[in-house]
Parts: sequence; structure tokens; C-alpha cells
Amino acid sequence: MTLLNKRLKKRLIMVMALVASISIISCGTIPKPAPATAEVTLSGKLTVYSAGPNDLATNIQKGFEKKTGVQVEMFQGTTGKILARLEAEKAKPVADVVVLASLPSAQGLMKSGMTLPYKEAKNADKLFPQWSDQDGNYYSYSLSALGIAYNTKLVTNPPKDWTDLTKPEWKDQINIPDPALSGSAADFATGYLSVKGDSGWDLFKQLKSNGVLMAGANQEALDPVITGAKSMVIASVDYMTYQAKAKGEPVDLIYPAEGTVISPRPALITKTSNNVENAKAFMDYLLSDEVQKMVADAYLLPGRSDVKVQGRPSASEIPTLKVNSDWMIANQKSVIQKFTDIFKK
Amino acid sequence: MNHYKRFGMTLAILLLLMLVVIPLFFIFLTSIFPNGSLNLAAPLRIFIDNDLRETFFNTILLGVLVVGGTTLFALPLAWILAKTALRKHEWLDVLIMIPFMTPPYIGSMGWILFMQPKGYFEQFIPSSSKLSPYFFNLLGMVLIMSLHMLPLLYLILRNALLQVSGSIEDAAFIHGGKAFYVFRRIVLPLLFSSYAMGALLIFVKSISEFGAPATFGRRIGYYVITTEIQKYTSSWPIDFSKATSLATVLLSTCLIFWYVSSLISRKFTYNTISGKGSEGKIYVLKRWQTWLAWIYIIALLAIAIGVPYFSILVASIMKLRGGGLVWQNFTLIHYEKLLAWGSESMEALMNSLSLSLIVATICVIIGTVFALAIQKSRTWPQRIIDLFSLLPNTVPGIVMVVGLIIVWDAPWMPIPLYNTYGMVVLTYVIFFLPYTVQYVKANYSQIDESLFQAGRVLGGKMFYVLRRIILPLLLPSLLAGWMMTFTISIRELVGALMILPPAMQTSATYIYSQFEQGDLSLGMAMAVISVGLTIVMLLGINKISSKRKWSIE
Repeated sequence: MTLLNKRLKKRLIMVMALVASISIISCGTIPKPAPATAEVTLSGKLTVYSAGPNDLATNIQKGFEKKTGVQVEMFQGTTGKILARLEAEKAKPVADVVVLASLPSAQGLMKSGMTLPYKEAKNADKLFPQWSDQDGNYYSYSLSALGIAYNTKLVTNPPKDWTDLTKPEWKDQINIPDPALSGSAADFATGYLSVKGDSGWDLFKQLKSNGVLMAGANQEALDPVITGAKSMVIASVDYMTYQAKAKGEPVDLIYPAEGTVISPRPALITKTSNNVENAKAFMDYLLSDEVQKMVADAYLLPGRSDVKVQGRPSASEIPTLKVNSDWMIANQKSVIQKFTDIFKK
Repeated sequence: MNHYKRFGMTLAILLLLMLVVIPLFFIFLTSIFPNGSLNLAAPLRIFIDNDLRETFFNTILLGVLVVGGTTLFALPLAWILAKTALRKHEWLDVLIMIPFMTPPYIGSMGWILFMQPKGYFEQFIPSSSKLSPYFFNLLGMVLIMSLHMLPLLYLILRNALLQVSGSIEDAAFIHGGKAFYVFRRIVLPLLFSSYAMGALLIFVKSISEFGAPATFGRRIGYYVITTEIQKYTSSWPIDFSKATSLATVLLSTCLIFWYVSSLISRKFTYNTISGKGSEGKIYVLKRWQTWLAWIYIIALLAIAIGVPYFSILVASIMKLRGGGLVWQNFTLIHYEKLLAWGSESMEALMNSLSLSLIVATICVIIGTVFALAIQKSRTWPQRIIDLFSLLPNTVPGIVMVVGLIIVWDAPWMPIPLYNTYGMVVLTYVIFFLPYTVQYVKANYSQIDESLFQAGRVLGGKMFYVLRRIILPLLLPSLLAGWMMTFTISIRELVGALMILPPAMQTSATYIYSQFEQGDLSLGMAMAVISVGLTIVMLLGINKISSKRKWSIE
């Protein structure tokens, strides 16, 4: 009996060793923290979580890889998915740089101490000051303005203002992106409410009773309008509409006269980053002429005030609401909650 | 040798405990510690919270309606292809399997593009626009999901019908029963056990389904448990305790229904196989009846396969999404972009293929070992391995993933597998292990033990018997299992969405993210390619399993 036990023990130990070695092999795929390198020669890896548009993010990734030789691991998702991922990975953070499509979200990360300030970023002084942090916790390298996108075949007389969309002629014709997924839609809702106060909810309630459908992320909301299944998207990101329009799709966009919300796309370095030098180089790259041109080519608004766009209004020409950013940060979560409650009913 | 065996059994059970049972247990544990303190009633709060309760009832309602819809489609089809002269057309079986092999998120998107206002249907027949509002509600989703589940119930019912011996029916006819009377009093009761099992299977599959509710349900504002779990775990603000509560409830519901199903099958099983050679009765149809049968089959296939595949194909070759169905608007540019070497999409496709290759191979190896350990599940360790290794097939995929995330992402977990390629492989292996186990087990039980004994009597060592007798005989099922695993790994969505490391995409997540954020045409082109691969594989499996009959009998 004892002999058997001994044998069994021996075998167990062997198996355990086997299991351990298997797990060690599988560990080999995990990015090892790169040693801090000198500023001139960068190497190793950088993990970036970036909100869309996909093509722009991919171009930036490729451009940066080519320029520095750093290998970029990129997770592309909606702002909501990136925030969820960051929260889920809190115990074992992975991301070095995070690019979001919502300012209050970035400010929220800063307030909870998850950002690493980088004050010396090149060209930071040329950014629109209102959308970037003075201490360099986050920089809004690009912007998008929210408008009303419409199908030009179906809508000959486009609405002028947000409240026009509550009219019965548009019943069941309108989509709105889901703020739990789309950072810019979240910015719109919180921004609008920060100006209007509690009475702002009336607009959303009226929209809901006019049959407005909450339709997933931005592309999911816009695609039915392109194909003509729906007539309009409220709080549509402008760049996506312009992109489709440039391709020849029958869509266009207006910015309501009352003013809209500009949704900046802030980039930040995480405090837990193991590749700080690479991350800083990435931030410099985002603010460089090269990327700013890519931004304009993707129909987004450049974050730098000295880079101009052609054929459409620049950030300073779009009518905007006087949003209260402190209120926005404080109430973002509850606004999203209440918003989805209204539209899910 | 006995030591080896006992040791292998222990190892298998330990492995399954660690990989399958513990993650599920942790879901339960997380759900009853909502804020770090024990609250046994926490999972039940979904019945108090209005939204969550609605989600739960939505899910159940969906399951019930899909069972109804599937029955409506499958019963006539099964009867026609089991009891009439049409049953000689075996190629129909391959066609009928296609809807089930089409990933529901792709099928749903096809239906949406077809039926939406100004969609493809309306472009063909403008007056059909009146139908659209009737389609974009719960019934539309039930239709889509019923057509997807149809092959499952069809196969179950047809096999059951084939086993109803012709002599029983003849007896009824001789005693003066009319055709409908015979169907009602003889065939239906004999079918009941198989139908009940099939219906429960459909029910459980429907309430576990993620793809269709995520694409179509969102369009109509119909939210179910699976989509809510995904929302609470992967879009901000996340709420893990709500997600695990929902997961616990979904898991319990599924387990209860599986238990009921096993009770029914034990209670209402009649001996329909008597050993006497019995050809099932074939009803002779009149000419117009044959026509009717053909029209039914063709119409059903046109709806179940024609509509979604037409939409997917067309969407993948349209230059402008708003340009309509005109020749000038067709292009192959999306395929060119998709298959460009080094592009994001090509990488995603390669990831899918390599992942499926690795997973299918691992599954076949481990699955075979398990199946050989289970044998005919006579002893209780064998039964435990049997139960545990089939568990991932019972548990909704999203629940399994949540469990795996909780365990492997936990701060105390010493093996840093989370967020790596290895984690994806592990998840997929757990997901798809049941398939090989089932295939091999079924095959193994057909092999007469005398063959092994003969091998041993003639002096063969254990490994010799394994290598020269068992494995060659198992080869067809190993291949079928491998191909099946390969196929379903390519289309796996929910596991991939939640477990892929940051920089990695598969063809399924690529398609999904194109629907959400990118270029729908590119997503559809990818869908055409991955579905094409699936169908090729399906034909392969079909070929192998038809050969198998020949080689064993």
C-alpha cells in the first residue's frame, strides 16, 4: 500500500512538473516589460487601446512602427469597450497608451489617478487648450463634432435644430447611437444636459416617444441611413458621415444652429505603463504634422489649431453649446444609465 | 497497467474540474458576493429589478416561440423525408444542414439587409415594403432563429420517424384507422420522447444564443440575458455582479431543462427497435401531393438559405451601400482589400485559421483520451468524466467565458495565461471538446470488444492494440471530430469577443466589428469567405461519415 502511494506520489510530482512546464511555455507569449531604453533608440513593444475610426488607428500604428521600430499591439474598440477593458484589467493592467473618443472619460481616468502626465510633449502648445490638460495628463489629438446625418434621397428639407426631430413627420425614422458604446454619443448627451439642466431630458423623452431607436455604435446607427432604411441619425459623428459622402453615398450632415457638442478624442499614457519612453514617443507622434494630416484626411478635425481643414468648417467655426465639463465628468455614468433606461423601454 | 488507468482517470477528472467545473462554480460564488459580502439571494434579485426581470422573461419567451417556430417548419419536413418516396434524395440532408452551419450573427444581418425599408426585397418588389414593419419585431427574430435551429430538430424527428416500424402503422391501418388518426394516435406518441428532447435542446440553444439577439434584437430593442451579460462585462460602466447574477440564472435554467429532458427521455421511451428487420412504412403520394411536398421543401430552403446568402453575397460586392441593386454598382474591390497581404482583415483570417487548426488538433487528442477513458461509462469515475466533458456543451458559451475570465484573471491566479494566445486556445478547447468526445465515444461503442481481446490474446501490448486496432477503427470519427471542431472554431463569436488579447482579431470578431464600427461590405466579404470554408468542411464531414458506415459495417 505504501509502495503504491509512493509510486503515485512520484507520478503526481512528474505530472505537476509537466503542467508547470507547459504553463511556462505558454507564458513565453506574454510581452515582457521592456527595459527602459535611451530616448534616441526606441525598441520593444507598446500596447495601445484605441477608439476608431479603424483605418486611422491602423495608419497611425503603421506609421509609428515604421518611424521608431517599436512594435505596437493595438486593441481597437468603441470607447465603452475600452473603458470596460481597462476596468476589468485593473488588477493586471496591460495598456500603455489609451485613445478614447470621449473627454469626460479621459478626465475620469485622470481623476482616479490612472494617467501619467507628460508635460513636455512636442507641439502640445499648439492644441486647442480647452480640450487638453495643462499638466499633460491627456491631449486631444483630434476632434469630432456631432450633427444630424440624413439620407439625401429621403430628406430634401433637412431639419435645422435638435428639437425639429421630435416632429411627427420623422416618426420612427431616426437612429441614435448607444452612449454606452459610443463615447461621442455619451459626450453629446452629457454635454447637452450640462447646458439644459434637468429640462434637457425632455428632448430625449420626446425623441423616444417619436420612435427614435438606440442602435448600437456609430456605424450601426449610420448604416441604415446610408441604405435608406432610416432617414436620420441624431448625434452622428461628422467624420463618419463625411467619409461616406466622399465615397458617393447619399448622405450629408448639418450642425444644428443652436449649437452642438464637440467630442474630443483624448490620448493618455497610463500610470501603470511599462514602456513609458515608447508611450511618450507615441504621444509626440500623435501631435506631429504627419498624424495631424492623417486626422484631417480621415475627415476628423485636427486637434492642433494651426492645422486647417478644407471644404468643411473647422473646429472654431462650428456652433457649439457652452458645456460644463465639471458637470459632465461628475454625471457621465448616471447620464448613460438614465439615457439607456429611457431608450430601452 | 491498472495504475496507469487509475492515474489517467484521476488526472482527467482533476483537469476537467479545474478547467470546467471551477469556473462555473466561481460564477455562482461571485454572484452571491455582490459587494464583497455574502448574500445568497443576490442572484434572485433579477426577479425584483424591473429591467432584469424583463430581460429574463424576454429570454424565456424567445425560447418558447423559437421551439414553436422550429416545430412548425421541421415536422412536415421530417415526415416528408422519412415517410415518402422523397427520402431517397439524400443530398437534401446536406442542404438542410447549411442554415445551422451559418453563424446566426451573419444570417441575421443578411435578413436585416433583405427586409429593411429600401432593402433588397423592396428593391425587387416595391410593394413588399408593407411587410417590413411586420418583420422588424419579435416574430422576425423568432423566424430567423427557427430557421437556424430547424436542421437540429429535423434530424432528431426524422431519425425517430425512421425508427417507427412500418408494421405498427400497418396494424393500425388494418384495424381501420384513417391516415390522420394513425398519425395522431400512433406516430405522435411514439415521437413524443424524441420530440421533447429535441424541443428542449432547441429551447436551451435559443436562450443561450448570442449572435442573433446581438444583431437583430438590438435593432428591435429586444434584450435577452446573453446580450445583457455581454453588455455588463464589456461596455462601460461594467457591472460584474449583475453579469454573474444573470449568468447564474441562465445556467440554472439550462441545467434544469437538461434534467427535465433526461427525465422525459427515460419515462417516455418505447421500444421501437425490435431487432426484426423492419422497413419504415413509405406512404405513396399522389402526383399533386408530391408536387406539394417539393414546393414545401424548395420554399423552405429558399427562405432558410436563399435569403440570407443572397443578401450577404450582394452586400459584399456593392460599391455604394446606398447605390441600390444595379450592375454598375457591383465590384470586387472589397475582396481585394480584404485579402490584401498584411492587411488587418487578412491577419484576422489567418488568426482564425491557425487558431482553429491548433484547437481542432488539441481537441482531437484530448477528446480521444477522454472518450477512451469513458468507454461505456460503467464505473462512476467514467460517468463523471462523461458528464464533465460534455458540460461545456450544456452551458451557454457566454456563461462559460464569464467563468473562465473570473478564474484566469483573478489576482490569485499563478498561471499568467489571461490576455494571451494560450488563453484563447484554452477557451476554445473547453468549448469544443464535447464534440470530439461525443464522436469518438459513439464510434468506440460500436467496436466489438472481441477485437481488442483478440489483439491481446495474440500477444499485443496495450499500445500495440491501441495503435494497430483501436486508432485505425476510430480514424473516421477522429477526422469528423477534427473537421467539426475546425469549422465551429472559425465561426465562434462570443468567446472570441470576450477573451481575445488586445491586439488580436479573428474573422468572427472582424465581421462583428465591421458591423459596429467599420465597413459593412468588408464584413460581408469576410462572411462569404468564412461561410464558404464552413460549407466545404461540411461537405467533407458528410463524405467521411458516409464512408464510415461502409467501413465499419
